[in-house]
Amino acid sequence: MSSSPDAHRRRKRAETPAEQTFADLMNGFSLNSGRKRSPAPEQVPAREATPVVRQEDAGVFEPSVQEAHDASIVRAYAWTGGRTRSNIDLEIETLVSANDQSRQSAGILQAEHQRVVELCHSPRSVAEVAALMRLPLGVVKVLLGDMAERGLVDVHQTASAGGDTPDLGLMERVLSGLRRL
Amino acid sequence: MDYVGSRFPEFGPPGPPGRELTSAKIVVAGGFGVGKSTFIRSIVENDLLTMNALPPERAGAVTELVRIQFGRVWLDPGLALHLFVAPQWQDPRAGWGDVVRGAVGAVVLFDVMRPADSVDAMRYFEDHRIPYVLALNNVHSSVRSDVKAIIRGMGISPDVPVVNCDPRVRLSVRETLISLTEHAKLDRWRRRAGPDETTPLAPVC
Repeated sequence: MSSSPDAHRRRKRAETPAEQTFADLMNGFSLNSGRKRSPAPEQVPAREATPVVRQEDAGVFEPSVQEAHDASIVRAYAWTGGRTRSNIDLEIETLVSANDQSRQSAGILQAEHQRVVELCHSPRSVAEVAALMRLPLGVVKVLLGDMAERGLVDVHQTASAGGDTPDLGLMERVLSGLRRL
Repeated sequence: MDYVGSRFPEFGPPGPPGRELTSAKIVVAGGFGVGKSTFIRSIVENDLLTMNALPPERAGAVTELVRIQFGRVWLDPGLALHLFVAPQWQDPRAGWGDVVRGAVGAVVLFDVMRPADSVDAMRYFEDHRIPYVLALNNVHSSVRSDVKAIIRGMGISPDVPVVNCDPRVRLSVRETLISLTEHAKLDRWRRRAGPDETTPLAPVC
């Protein structure tokens, strides 16, 4: 019975590779500048286990950046195992949505994945997820990229033509949409 | 409660499973205090959201979080239009690239009292061939043609539409966005290579 959560925790630890990268990242922050650098590996699991996102009212966005927020950003990078790149191409306007698999997995997901699934019951853009979860864009891209690779969210690609310019069909759609507004 | 637009419930997502969803974005640039947020707020109805861009390679500077405001409006049941306030610094590490890449185009809000503030953005969009319109922030009609003549004299491409816009007025914002998208569409047509391409009717200026 109790083996299941244990296994889950072990899996999470096993998924925290690249301590070196993470340590580098941690050292880059100025929060502990007065202290001597400590080897990061022992810290990683503990920080990862800390609930990062406080369940505050998602509708309120304070314009000031508080220290607590900064600290949560440091922890947020711990989620991603220190990685700063995603394997999946995500633009800030790319829409993601929860799918059947993620709905069925409710309750066994990591807390942050759970939060994304809840947010994405209606499609949300990467930028919206970043804003509503109060996390830096880079962290959200890695998080969503991971979830997409595991099939936990669907990614709806933008209609940019292979690169940097949206195609004519999309522009036509934007135009008629604007005219209806 | 929800950020999903409530003004047009019939356009509200999500559609049935398998419906194609996609998104587009438009950048709103210009000097400080020229009305970029107001412009976006006028069309998206819900209050703006703020996203933090923390460039990983510069993670040492927590205080240098770049805050990017944006709003979203569903244009049809599968198309979400995002409007982003362009960051003040044209620095790829400061989220500028994320905001500009793949955009339909840009609206540069232009305050006649502080023209220099908007020039950096105009120069960037000219250099990178990103379609943009110049939106004069509420210039009185009596001097509008003079102002336009001065702006044309600054050497921007003759193709760039120069429109008058009150960022507080929804219809005015909508007209500006329509001008931009029409301009962007035409621009896209012109750049399409191939002998069999025909040019659509040129807009009446």
